[in-house]
Amino acid sequence: MSTTAVRPRFRSLRQVRHALDTGQLTFEQLVQYYLHRIATDNKRLNVFIEVFADEALRRARQLDDRLQHEGLSALGPLAGMVVSLKDVLCFKDHQVTAASRILDGFHSLFSATAVSRVLDADAIIIGRVNCDEFAMGSSTEYSYYGPTHNALDPERVPGGSSGGSAVAVQADMCLASIGSDTGGSVRQPAAFCGVVGFKPSYGRISRHGLLAYASSFDQIGTLTHSAIDAASLLSVMAGPDAYDATCSPQPLPTFSDEAWASVPQARIAWFAEALDHPGLDPRIAQLTRQYLEGLRQKGHQLEAVSFDLIDYVVPAYYVLTTAEASSNLSRYDGVRFGWRHPQARSPEEVYTMTRTAGFGAEVKRRIMLGAFVLSAGYYDAYYGRAQKVRHLIVQRMAALFERYDFIVMPTSPVLPWHLGQMNEDPTQMYLADIYTVLANLAGLPAISLPAGQVEGLPIGVQFMAAPFREKPLLEFAHSILDRENA
Amino acid sequence: MARQGQWELIIGLEVHVQLNTRSKAFCGDATTFGAPPNTQTSPVSLGHPGTLPRLNEAQVRAAVKLGLALGSTIAVRTAFDRKNYFYTDLPKGYQITQDAVPICGGGVLPIKLGDQWKEVGIHHIHMEEDAGKSIHDQDPEHSLIDLNRTGVPLLEVVTEPELHSADEVDAFMSAMRQLVRYLGISDGNMEQGSLRCDVNISVRPKGSTTYGTRCEVKNLNSMRHARRAIAYEASRQIALLESGQPVGRYTLHFDAATGRTSPLRDKEAAHDYRYFPEPDLPPLALSASFIESVRAELPPLPKALYEWMRISCGLGDYEATLLSEQLDTALFFRALTQHTPHHHKAANLVINKVLPWCKAKGITLSDFPVPQTSLAELIELVVVGVISHTVAWQELFELLCEAPHQHPKDLAQAHDLVQQSDGDALKAIATEVLAAWPDKVVAYQKGKKGLIGFFMGQLMRRMRGKADPKRANQILRQLLENCQ
Repeated sequence: MSTTAVRPRFRSLRQVRHALDTGQLTFEQLVQYYLHRIATDNKRLNVFIEVFADEALRRARQLDDRLQHEGLSALGPLAGMVVSLKDVLCFKDHQVTAASRILDGFHSLFSATAVSRVLDADAIIIGRVNCDEFAMGSSTEYSYYGPTHNALDPERVPGGSSGGSAVAVQADMCLASIGSDTGGSVRQPAAFCGVVGFKPSYGRISRHGLLAYASSFDQIGTLTHSAIDAASLLSVMAGPDAYDATCSPQPLPTFSDEAWASVPQARIAWFAEALDHPGLDPRIAQLTRQYLEGLRQKGHQLEAVSFDLIDYVVPAYYVLTTAEASSNLSRYDGVRFGWRHPQARSPEEVYTMTRTAGFGAEVKRRIMLGAFVLSAGYYDAYYGRAQKVRHLIVQRMAALFERYDFIVMPTSPVLPWHLGQMNEDPTQMYLADIYTVLANLAGLPAISLPAGQVEGLPIGVQFMAAPFREKPLLEFAHSILDRENA
Repeated sequence: MARQGQWELIIGLEVHVQLNTRSKAFCGDATTFGAPPNTQTSPVSLGHPGTLPRLNEAQVRAAVKLGLALGSTIAVRTAFDRKNYFYTDLPKGYQITQDAVPICGGGVLPIKLGDQWKEVGIHHIHMEEDAGKSIHDQDPEHSLIDLNRTGVPLLEVVTEPELHSADEVDAFMSAMRQLVRYLGISDGNMEQGSLRCDVNISVRPKGSTTYGTRCEVKNLNSMRHARRAIAYEASRQIALLESGQPVGRYTLHFDAATGRTSPLRDKEAAHDYRYFPEPDLPPLALSASFIESVRAELPPLPKALYEWMRISCGLGDYEATLLSEQLDTALFFRALTQHTPHHHKAANLVINKVLPWCKAKGITLSDFPVPQTSLAELIELVVVGVISHTVAWQELFELLCEAPHQHPKDLAQAHDLVQQSDGDALKAIATEVLAAWPDKVVAYQKGKKGLIGFFMGQLMRRMRGKADPKRANQILRQLLENCQ
């Protein structure tokens, strides 16, 4: 069953702010609109786990009051941005569960740095949205709350793990969503849902308050309709944070109207091994080649380069991320917080019964994989070797970025699949991460842009840049996006 | 009965030094000992979702300080690792520690065995965080968990297997306690658990150069327990070997009630800690200037001060050991020697007067009111014979402590304590004494020469201790000889 896409009422913060500034819209009306959208479609699509309706309306009225007295220019840079949070971001005194039974009922005692910063910039948080449990998955099917459906075809998955975020933006339930991307979790659902998914460089946005999946890969990212909105969110959320030692002190990019108006000519590389890969759906390959030809015609320089490490990226990624995950998820034990198995009596029972029944199958699979690759006698063969591959990839990418501004490839080798289709074969699903995990292995900023449709289903094209080169990446993305998305 | 004499005991230690930093290793929680349970915690130390560690620089300084004091090599680049295991008092399910690249490598700790020094090799020092405490004996049905200690910074000092007896272990732990107190990085209190050790023990036939299978006895929290555990474990292993049985490699628990060790877990059930680099903390680069800034804070070390007291001051082992036991005492004594060349008298004054006085008043040496220069003057008055040793050490010392800013000489004069060494005055009193005890004079003359002490006592009493004892003794003898 296919349904026509909802046409978003607003496609950018700029449009919202113009309407607010000219008196055509109030904050309250804006929030009411999105609440209405959620009420209309959430049952069908299973996007929001929780809607903060009263709180969002209260905040909207306060902003209306300030708008009336002080004007829009006195409000924060995100005033008018109604956002949802992936259920892996801490929001003080609100539930956060990572879509897992094991955190059922858990309320965070503090807000993630990124969350505090968007609030300080006058954004409105409208609710928390579904995802794969602990951000592990590529389809948003592995959730304690049930699967989220792709609004373009509810029988198909929206991608994952930030599938709730992607559909929330796709189905116009909010203007933007804050997700997380450990191996493509923002970009791949963006591609599956026809929106913009942006993952900044590793360390650009503090991970304080982001429930960890794989600490050296995790990065907060955004789902929006436009590159400019991604930039606005980035500017607010990024920057050093005393609560995250891995958060970078690199200077923040600043964006200007002049830069957005410019049309930079870029040197872009594409990997022959990626476009010729046997796992790539030929229809996506063809559309991507057409897309690249279009870029060439716009005056960008495109060159094929060889990247013979491509078949190592997925194995290296899964060895390293599951290793970190097996450790990161040890704290969910039923001892101090979250869900505890009601029949557990002894400490051993609290651990085994809580974790056995509290985690879903995919999470347990990854914990076991991770424990295995770190275990005595196997460490060097798996973890140690994967670290070497990661190191090689970092070096290779650094060398490439001396000659090219961006590297381009499809976001996903496959189209959004039918719900349940991949459940029998997790490795098949892992292999579908082939184009997105590279950016996380090397800590690169990357963005997925809508690049057309195959048989009514959206596909995405992905651009990566050198670490901390978000500004040229976003400006370039803006310049090539369909005017509709600009 | 095991023939201990034919076996050599090989012991290596893992010493845990709990640091006295104000906040925890990776978050801002306070670290006060004895606070009510679970009051010194935060989302970070409770392992709440979304929390991350941030490194306390004070822990790094302490590690470098201890490393420099032991002559270790300080790693220019060091890193943290995770040690994974499940336990109810370990909230994150892993401990942040250092496995691959510890902060300090090598070094030696000198320990004193009788009159001999022995240098015990240090394998490495690493930083880690402590776990919480599980309390199993306060509730009949439940175990209680106190997470105040969770995340408190520790240094683990791992020695080479170079100790051979409980005495050596005792000496090592005393030297370590002394050193961490000198450095001011830990209170070194074994009873409160701020200094703990795991003991690795094996035995081998004397003369052998290969090591036997070792057992590790965990978490001994007093030297008395450590001694008993070592003695028990040595006999157990020797008895096994002598009866032709192998020693199994076990981690052992020492039961203080029975004095025995028993397996905590055997090799098969051994934890696989699945160490891997801690991804939440970037590797730590220690700049040369940082290391030098720590070096500049190093106090003089115990052995150097002990040897200086022995060699430069000529003190005996007893005095030097006592005066170098604590840094403040050693520095107090050293400062005093800047003002007086009479080091023995200075040592005597500090040991017998100053330290007991402070102890009685319940104050630290730094609050002792009398300036070093006045103490030196006091010593000088005795040396030149203006005041007797007894008067100086008793009345004048007390007066000085009451009026610390007065000159000792002025005080002595004001209180009429100046010693009589004038021959005529002494002679007059001595004559009085002899006249009062004629039968004792006769006894003396018949050979009971020991009575001189009695006459001295009488003379001192009459002169209220102000007589120059040498001179008085001389005069008494002369009179006794001449009375015949």
